[in-house]
Parts: sequence; C-alpha cells; structure tokens
Amino acid sequence: MRGFLTTRATVLDWLHTLDQLGDVFFPQPMGESSFRFDKVRKHSLLAFEDFDATSTEKPFRASTCVQPPGKKLSPNNEQIFHFSKNENGEYQLTPTLDDRQRILAGVRPCDLKAIHLMDRINSDGIPDAHYLSRRQNTTIIAHDCLQPCDQHCFCDATGSLRWREGADIFLTPQPEAKLLIEALTERGEQLLADAGFTPCKNIEGRKTLAEAQRTKPFGRQFNAPLQQVIDTVSNSGESPVWDKHVERCFSCGTCNLVCPTCYCFDVQDDFNVDDPDSGQRTRSWDGCMLEAFAVVAGGHNFRPQLAARQRHRIKRKLAWLPARFGDGSFCVGCGRCGHQCTVDIDIFDIANDLLATAETKP
Amino acid sequence: MKPRIAFFDMASCEGCQLAILDCEDVFLHILDLVDIVEFREALSEKAPRFDVAFIEGSINREIDAERLRDIRARCTWLVSLGACACHGNVQARSNALSPAENLQRVYGPEACHVAQTDSQYWPLWAHTRVRAVHEVVKVDYHLRGCPVDRDEFLHLVKRLVAGSLPRFARQPVCVECKHNGNECVFEHGDTCMGQITWGGCDAICINGGYRCDGCRGLLPGVNLDSHRALLRERGLSDTDIDSRYRLFCSADVQPRGTRP
Ligand code: SF4
Ligand code: SF4
Ligand code: SF4
Ligand code: SF4
Ligand code: SF4
Repeated sequence: MRGFLTTRATVLDWLHTLDQLGDVFFPQPMGESSFRFDKVRKHSLLAFEDFDATSTEKPFRASTCVQPPGKKLSPNNEQIFHFSKNENGEYQLTPTLDDRQRILAGVRPCDLKAIHLMDRINSDGIPDAHYLSRRQNTTIIAHDCLQPCDQHCFCDATGSLRWREGADIFLTPQPEAKLLIEALTERGEQLLADAGFTPCKNIEGRKTLAEAQRTKPFGRQFNAPLQQVIDTVSNSGESPVWDKHVERCFSCGTCNLVCPTCYCFDVQDDFNVDDPDSGQRTRSWDGCMLEAFAVVAGGHNFRPQLAARQRHRIKRKLAWLPARFGDGSFCVGCGRCGHQCTVDIDIFDIANDLLATAETKP
Repeated sequence: MKPRIAFFDMASCEGCQLAILDCEDVFLHILDLVDIVEFREALSEKAPRFDVAFIEGSINREIDAERLRDIRARCTWLVSLGACACHGNVQARSNALSPAENLQRVYGPEACHVAQTDSQYWPLWAHTRVRAVHEVVKVDYHLRGCPVDRDEFLHLVKRLVAGSLPRFARQPVCVECKHNGNECVFEHGDTCMGQITWGGCDAICINGGYRCDGCRGLLPGVNLDSHRALLRERGLSDTDIDSRYRLFCSADVQPRGTRP
C-alpha cells in the first residue's frame, strides 16, 4: 500500500474537506485539560501533537478523550427499532439502522485495538446489526503515539500500542511538523487517491525514525508479562485484593462507562406522546459496577457485594473475554478507568496486586 | 376515561409546577392523555377525587399534614414532586437547629419570645420540623430535583397512562455525566456530589459547566465515608463539607433501605 509525507497542517486542512463524505470526528479540547471526540465543524480547533512532545499545551499534547472514539459506533440512547400500528390494528416493528458514512480521525492505537475487539464482540453469536451497520460505513484514520498520553496509560503492557488492524489510514508523527500517511486498506487508498499528498519513497525508514523516537519503556508496565497477568487474574478467586480495591469505591459506574471495551446496555420502550400507538425502543450504556446492574425480575441481585462487581469487571477484561476470543487482553490499557475514577481505583494496580499475592502463595 | 391528575403545593417555591408548565411543546398532547383537575398555577377548579396527586413542597405544619392525609385519601397514586417534597430541601436545614434558635435567627430575640408564648403565633411555633411527604403519607413515586426534570415527569405520566411501571434512574449522577462525555470537575480542582446523588437529571449542572450540588438527594446505600474523605483530601474542612451536604438537605442523613 502507498505512503505519503506531508505537513500536519496539510493533513488537518484535508480532514476539514472530508465532511463532504460524512461526519468527521476528531479529538477536540474540552474543559480545562480534557478532550472530547467530537464532530469537526468549520472552526473546530484541531491539532496533532509534536514529534518530540515539546509542547505541553492542549491541544498539541496527546491525551485520550473522556469517551473513546469507538462509542460513536454504539452511541448512548440509540434507537434500535420503532413501532407503529398498521390499518389492521397490528403493531409493526421497523429496525433502525444507521448507515451514514462517518470518519473517525485521530484514533489512538489503544482505541483502535478496542474497536477491533468490539468488532469481534458484535459479530459473535447473533450479530449486532446496529453496530455493524455503523462500523461498515466508518472509515478510521488512526494516529501513532510516540509518548505515553498520561500517567495512567499502560497500552504497551496490554499489547495495544502497536495495533494497526482496523485502521484504513495510519498516521505516524515525523520531524519538522510532518506526518507519514499510510493507506492500510482499499478504502484508505481510495480516500488518499486524490488528496494530492507527496508520495513517500522510504516508508520503512520513516517508521524506523518514529520508532527511535518512541519513549522506552512506554508507559506503565505490569510486574510480569501479559500472559502471566491474564493467568493470574483467571486463577484469582476469593482474594483480599478485591476488598481492598473497593473500600473507597462509590459504585458510580464511571470506570465502565468510559471503557472502550465495555459494551453492556439497558433497553427501554417508550411511546410517543403525540401518537400513543407509536414509539421506539432505545438502549443506553450500562455498567457492571452499578448496583442495579445484576438485578433480575423479582428484585434478586446476583452481585450485591461491591467487591464481587469489581472482580466481575476485572475478570471480563483480563480473564474471561481473552479466553473466549483468543485476541489478547480486553483491557487495552488506555488508562481511562484509573484516570477518571475520583478515588483512584485502577485496574492496573489491581492486576499488579493480584500478581503480588499470587507470588507469595505457597 | 382519562386519568384525572391534580397538583397541590405545600411549602415550596412552586418552581416545580412551573418546570412542568415548561413542557408547553407537548402540553396539549398531555392533555389528550389526562385531565388536569386541580392546578393552582394554571387553573382554579377543585375536584373531590383524582387518580394521581402530585405534591409539591415539604410539610412544615400540622395543618399541612392534615391536608396531605386528606389528599392521600382521595387519590390512587401519590407522587412527591421535587426536592422539597422528596427530602425537605433547603427549608429542612432548620431541622438541624432547635425551634427557639431558629425563630431567634429569623425573627430576632424579641419576636422569638412573642412567637413562642403568644397563641396567635401558634402556626409559627408549630413549625418544629420540616418533613418530606413520605414521612407523613405513603408515596408511590418520587420525582426528584430542584426543580424536577420535565422528561421524568413526562415519563411518569406516560407510564401511568399506559398502565406500566415507570423506570427512574437508580444510579448516581456520574452515570449521566459520563453518558455526556463531560470532563469530571475533580479534574480541574473542583469537588462534586455526583457520585452520591440520585441521577435522572442528565447531569444538567455539569453539562452546563458547574458541578453537582446534590439537589436530587442522597442515593441510598452510597459510600458516604469515602466521599467525605475525598472532599477532605481536596481541601474542604468538615464545616464546608457539612454545609455542602446540607445545601439541599440531601446528604445529611443516610437514607435507610435499598433503592426502590
Ligand atoms: S469509577 Fe471508581 S468509584 Fe466509580 S465505580 Fe469505578 S472504581 Fe468505583
Ligand atoms: S479497563 Fe480501564 S484501562 Fe482497560 S481498556 Fe477499560 S478503561 Fe481502559
Ligand atoms: S493509552 Fe497508549 S495508545 Fe492510548 S492514547 Fe495513551 S499512549 Fe496512545
Ligand atoms: S463531575 Fe461529578 S457527576 Fe460528573 S463524573 Fe465527576 S463526580 Fe461524577
Ligand atoms: S447535577 Fe446535581 S445539582 Fe444539578 S440537577 Fe442534577 S442532582 Fe441537581
């Protein structure tokens, strides 16, 4: 596949022109120090960070968005079907499928891996037509990270930092405010066909240049190789570690709701107030840390204990789903849950603590 | 027959009733579904019986409690409308003081003495404790917030009309805050009550650039010790924390029981 080399400014200008094809999304500054993966509008402030991370100012500094880009493929409160009564008085259901073209740009390797995992989840068993319809009509322009985005990231430790699958175009920072632009799929090729960028003769050399610039070790590292982390979490039953890490927990669900590989939802039906014979079913993001999550009909709660809910969350990421799909860790190490938890409960620390207690066992 | 609904106000600012009138874009459709038989903010009729009674305001005097019991006896469903009815709201802050001290603070030492001894002032003196509606009569549903959320009101009315159970948030404000992808206010040095407060408001205050002050009340069973410890770590004194918890009288007392 082909590669190009051009300035960051040229690429940003180009991104602005892509809105003819559909909505373009890109990380944009929000609040005092955060980013929102938001629709690109005419005057949106867009930026790529420096090759050597000299600028510490937002928006020239990399950071994960509060909500991961992949959530655009299964938005909160999405309508899954609508219903109305026909002439015979029977209810008719029409599924709602969103097939609009969209472009997710500036997607980081961790979130790219997460989208790949969500592709697997949503294609497994009964395929999720709503997710897949959006996914098939989505172009992904990913962007490498040469420096860890913050103190919480551990994407290298979970094997996501070098993830490329799922990206149509991949951008790698280069010196002199430039970017290496590689088409990784046919769709990417087409998109770049008439962008007018300067072809790059030495793609491998450029990649080596970036690799040499990459911080090493990159971000936080577990105290053992990933496979050992997965084995340890898989074999951890009752353990004081679970209790220790929920002492301060609010059961607020933030760690679920910001995670790029959390996909649980709750459904709700509603009728329209202006035509009570019609209405829709919507689904909203749910999370296993919330108290009401495991309540079933009759009010029975399968996991009333907070520690049991925490264990469930960690095992989903680092034991059960890795075993089920054989695609590595379902925690991509983006660090969002630990960063955004107001009492600093971090899956990374929990995993390391489980490793430590496993070692001291006879 | 369309369900008959009625609104009553106790000690409140009537802002919740105004919030409901704010449904004007769908109000005419609501009137296709229900008959509003009593609504001081909008009409002057009085009805003997009704299906749903919405009670706005806290119960401050025995005379209000009697009126409330009478309403309860005349309706099928009774709904607490807004923070005053649900947990007492700002006026319940007076519960933390003795009645004499309260009167003195508000009316001065002289007036306080008169108020306590002159039978003419009996209603004032009788205002000894601000009660939430459910402390006096059985409440079927709570519409929380100061003011209430119009979408929750609409949801409840639709569900009651359809004969199905309404569903309200049983989770803290953080859930909706995260649904909206907001930057957590702790990120920029502020503090928030979102982790311990009933959701359902779509985290409207954080969306708007402020923090959550807990107007929807304390979520039962939350980790209040951890919250206090966090606020202390963030530099708040215990007095500041108490004052934050008491603002809407929401986190003053840990509610009993599990989430309905
Ligand atoms: S974000 Fe933190 S406090 Fe909230 S549920 Fe997760 S671990 Fe608990
Ligand atoms: S568990 Fe936490 S660090 Fe891992 S992918 Fe989810 S949010 Fe990111
Ligand atoms: S977690 Fe890693 S891959 Fe993700 S944004 Fe941070 S540095 Fe980049
Ligand atoms: S701003 Fe408040 S409501 Fe939002 S996540 Fe933070 S603590 Fe929760
Ligand atoms: S965010 Fe908090 S203070 Fe604001 S409406 Fe919701 S519960 Fe009330």
